[in-house]
Amino acid sequence: MKFIHFADAHLDSPFRGLSFLPSKAFNQIYNAANQSLKRIVDLALSEQVDLVLIAGDTFDSNHPSPHSQLLFAQEIKRLTDAQIQVVMIFGNHDHMKRSELLVTPSPYFKLLGPDEKVEQVTFTTKTGFTYDVVGFSYLNNHITSDKLPEFPEKGANYTFGMMHAQEKTSTNSQNVYAPFTVQEMQELNYDYFALGHIHARRTLSTEPLIVYPGNIQGRHINELGPKGCYLGEVNEASRETKIDFYATSPIIWQSVQLELTAGLSKADLQAKILASLTAEQTTYFSLQLLGARFLTEEETDLITDSDFWQNLSLQLAADSQLVDVRFKEQEQLQLNDHDQAAFNQAADEIFAPEEFKQIIKDWAKKDELTAQAADQPEFLQAVKELAQVKLAAKLKGIDDETQEN
Amino acid sequence: MRLKKIKFINFGQLSNLTFNLPSPELNVFFGENEAGKSTTVAFIKQVMFGFYLRSNSSPFFEDYKPLAHVSPMGGSLFFEDEHGSEFELERLWAKGDKTKRGILTVKKDGQVVPESLFYDQLQKIDGNFYADSFIFNQEMLGQVASLSQADLLERIYYLGAADSGKLLALRDDFAKEAGQLFKKTGKKPQVNQLLKKVSAKREAVAEAEDEYQDYESLEAELTAKQTSLKQVQEQLAAEQKEQSQLANLQKSFQSYHKLQELEAEVKPLKFTSSNYQEAQSLQAQGKNLQANLANLEKQAASLASAEDLTAEKQLLQKRPELLQWQSEYQADLQKEKQLKNEEQQLLTLNPDLAAGLKLSQADLQTLASDYRALPEKAGVTAPTKSNNNLFLLIGAVIAVVGLILLFTSGITGLILLIAGVAVAGYGFYQNKNQAQVVQEAQKAQKQVEQQYQSFQKKYGLDPASLSVDNLINQVSQYRMKQQALEANNEQLTQIETKCGQLAAKLEEALNEPLKADFNSLLAAMTELDDRISRSQQVAERKASLAFNLKQGQQELKELGLKLKAVLAKDQVKDMTEYDQRYQGSLAQAKLQAQVASLQYNLHDDLAQLKQVDPASLKEKLAQVASKIATEQEKVNQLQQEAAQVQVKLTNLADSSNVFAAKQDLANTQTRLMQASQEYLANLLASKWIGRALDLASNERFPKMLKAAKEYLQLLTGGRYVDLELDKKLTVTRFDGKKREVKYLSRGTAEQLYFALKLAFVEQIKDQINLPILIDDSFVNFDDQRVGYIKQLLQKISANNQVLIFTAQRNLVDEIGIEPMFFEKGTPNA
Repeated sequence: MKFIHFADAHLDSPFRGLSFLPSKAFNQIYNAANQSLKRIVDLALSEQVDLVLIAGDTFDSNHPSPHSQLLFAQEIKRLTDAQIQVVMIFGNHDHMKRSELLVTPSPYFKLLGPDEKVEQVTFTTKTGFTYDVVGFSYLNNHITSDKLPEFPEKGANYTFGMMHAQEKTSTNSQNVYAPFTVQEMQELNYDYFALGHIHARRTLSTEPLIVYPGNIQGRHINELGPKGCYLGEVNEASRETKIDFYATSPIIWQSVQLELTAGLSKADLQAKILASLTAEQTTYFSLQLLGARFLTEEETDLITDSDFWQNLSLQLAADSQLVDVRFKEQEQLQLNDHDQAAFNQAADEIFAPEEFKQIIKDWAKKDELTAQAADQPEFLQAVKELAQVKLAAKLKGIDDETQEN
Repeated sequence: MRLKKIKFINFGQLSNLTFNLPSPELNVFFGENEAGKSTTVAFIKQVMFGFYLRSNSSPFFEDYKPLAHVSPMGGSLFFEDEHGSEFELERLWAKGDKTKRGILTVKKDGQVVPESLFYDQLQKIDGNFYADSFIFNQEMLGQVASLSQADLLERIYYLGAADSGKLLALRDDFAKEAGQLFKKTGKKPQVNQLLKKVSAKREAVAEAEDEYQDYESLEAELTAKQTSLKQVQEQLAAEQKEQSQLANLQKSFQSYHKLQELEAEVKPLKFTSSNYQEAQSLQAQGKNLQANLANLEKQAASLASAEDLTAEKQLLQKRPELLQWQSEYQADLQKEKQLKNEEQQLLTLNPDLAAGLKLSQADLQTLASDYRALPEKAGVTAPTKSNNNLFLLIGAVIAVVGLILLFTSGITGLILLIAGVAVAGYGFYQNKNQAQVVQEAQKAQKQVEQQYQSFQKKYGLDPASLSVDNLINQVSQYRMKQQALEANNEQLTQIETKCGQLAAKLEEALNEPLKADFNSLLAAMTELDDRISRSQQVAERKASLAFNLKQGQQELKELGLKLKAVLAKDQVKDMTEYDQRYQGSLAQAKLQAQVASLQYNLHDDLAQLKQVDPASLKEKLAQVASKIATEQEKVNQLQQEAAQVQVKLTNLADSSNVFAAKQDLANTQTRLMQASQEYLANLLASKWIGRALDLASNERFPKMLKAAKEYLQLLTGGRYVDLELDKKLTVTRFDGKKREVKYLSRGTAEQLYFALKLAFVEQIKDQINLPILIDDSFVNFDDQRVGYIKQLLQKISANNQVLIFTAQRNLVDEIGIEPMFFEKGTPNA
């Protein structure tokens, strides 16, 4: 039998990390996930798969737009009309009721385990291969308990597990998405465990297969590279399962590093940036500039101006966009040893997470978003890097005053 | 590190000038204003840390006039380290040099060595650090004076860090920028604005996400509307049905009215169709008969009346007689012709006849006698030679044959040969006899001939050929024939006379001119016969017509009677009336058909119609119509409402609002986070600098405070006896009263700053020991204080070499050291 496994379609989801939105990009982004979904369905139809597994977070929220609902319903109908079995679970984003889903009822569409109860269903392919699917749907945005103990023991049939969940971590506050361990999942020994939730494509285990297919469309700079679905093929005799990734996302995100080793003219800078942004399909670029100290203030202003990005993007292939530029300073501050030590120690002190939090608390408590960011090490790191860049730029002024002319 | 010699090549207004510093501890430079004191301070600093060749003004003491246009500029400093080695720092700058810092050459004990050999001993401090920490001049104090108390405190506080002034400024810049980006309670800063925007956009997303609920409720609404629409439509349909029934009834009512009228018109009528047909037939027969009779009468009238044809009939009886005449006449004509023919024949047969006829009977007798008188003429007849010759020929032939046979058959041939010669001999004999006879005849004939010729002359007749008897006979015959011809002619004339008489009679009968020949007469006879037979036919026809007429009239009479009988049956006077009755009956039939049709159509409603009241029906109809209008209005209303809901639904289905709101929120969040990072980076950079300054200065602070306390006491002449640092820097007056730095007088603050800075230099003397340069900094110091200064200088010069640049004679006097002067060529060491 053949099956497709995808998750985290996040229909309605915006692209994050864009401070501006070129008008032509709106539709591009708006349609990106939809298009990816359509391509997956196209693939299912052309491959004549027996089963499509949708492992949660199909919608970006539990209040999906009618447009997305209708689009999804339409795509599902294409599958069920072709008598392809669809099994879907809700994730932490789209924790809804079945009644809220606009999908037309069909014997070929199954919402698995509503009410957060683990449910087992058995289907038979057209060629008479019988298999089980076991899983559950979210009813709320968090599930703090490990759900694996509720999963039944594997029977005689080929068995798919389905779960929208995150591996257990040492931080308790993060264990809110049906936390599990790979080991206990392996012990269940289901033939294929179709996971959702983590947007990066990952195979947690090969025997048995435990797979995150990643999301179907990257939505920000941390969701790099091609996105899509897995097409699986089960050897009905040996029950051996082979999976292949199919990229379906119309837009990919790419991070590009550019190192400056000397000062250069604006034209040269622009040419250098353009040369580094090569794309074969629609790509959203984030540019990291190393050696920012070689930039003049004017160049820094230019390069951080989104108008400049847009202008530059006009020259990129395949409707690609430069959407983000970050500076990174690798060099240590140029100070005398004594002051250097003082600065290093000062950095250690103020960028220590607790101290950092203390310093930014007025800001952090302003909004859920700021509060959330305040807790993220990446955010701290980003602030630190930026402060470093700023400081380096200023200290350079102090340092090199006499060399400026 | 002791400075031993200062050697100017060209620097500012100084050139080619060398100072040998006499003391490793305290050295005094004396000069009026503009003598070169500040230039010397700048020279020392810049030879060590680089020329400062900016065209714009520079901070502090380095703000001197542009260099003289001499080249090269610069000079040398000669140091001696604690190990007794001499370092020469020569810094020169010539026009065209790339670096404006000047080209530095470091020599250790006369040997050129890497710079680091010298600078490593200075812990790599830079010019700013040196200027901040080791140089005390008017500008610096002036700067202290221009600072706010708080800033002064900061300066004092962070004296421990190199570049603290600039770092403090930087720290403040960052803090200021951070403050512009975000305030805890502000509204205008960018981050605050974005925070507000984010929460607004979040609400917008929540609102947009209601789309789905809206969609569901709209769908429910649409279903409800469609349901009630269906109900109203059903009701409407029922009412329309009723309306149509009532309208039908109303229409039927008109028909019913008509029916009533028609029924009133229906009446009984005595009419039998078969009778009427019979009557019509009879009438038609009568008419035909009458026409026939009229025709017959007309025919009878056209026939001529009978005429008397007795005379004609008698005349006609003469036809056989005429035919007799005709045949007689023909026969006579034939006879005449024959006779004439015979006469001609006679004449032709006997050419002598014509001559004979001219002779009378008597003459003839004469002739006959004459003729008998004539001798007979002998006839010479030539023998037939041919027979004799034939004998010859035959004999020859037989002889030949005999000869031939003689040779073949012997005897026979001989016989034949003899016979043949015999025959031929006979033929030869005969021929000889005949020729003698002919000669004798010819002589007699000549005499007779002469007699005959005289006869012919007399009668004109050839006696040789004449037969007299015959001639006489023939004349007689001829004369008989002439008599018969005359009798025949007489008979012809008789017949012609009789024919003429008959023609006259026929001419009269036929009343037309008529020729008297037989054909005309016979034709006239035939015509006459025709006339008679025609007349007879007419008479017969007339009789027939008369019979027919009589019969027809009888028939007509009978028909009239029959018709009357028929008319009587339906009690009609005549046919006209009967026709009218027929038309009436047709009208009644039509009427009855209409009535029947109406009755049939109205059948269901008839009972109702008999009872219904037209007025109430109308009223009822009006009521139903008004109801329908209301329902129709409702339907329209509902349809419109449903359509509106449908449009809303469609709009929602096509709406990108949720995504747009989310994307908008995401973008705003990104902008917020970017601005926040900017803010936080500034904030943290500021904190970072502050903290680094803290760290850089704090470890030295306690010791520095102790020294500074001493120095302050000296500088204030004992008015301030203590310094404390506990979050804030406080000074204790001689009377035990504590003052926060910010409440100190400016003069005292300057003294405090001076004291702290000296203490700091003393603190770092182990790592960095460079000459302290004091440039006329004590201009405000009074005599009493100058005394303290002396003590102070002696104290600090124990640690660091001190170079005092002053224009104050009293200070020079107080210190009691031979000063150096700036006059050229002045011997100073």
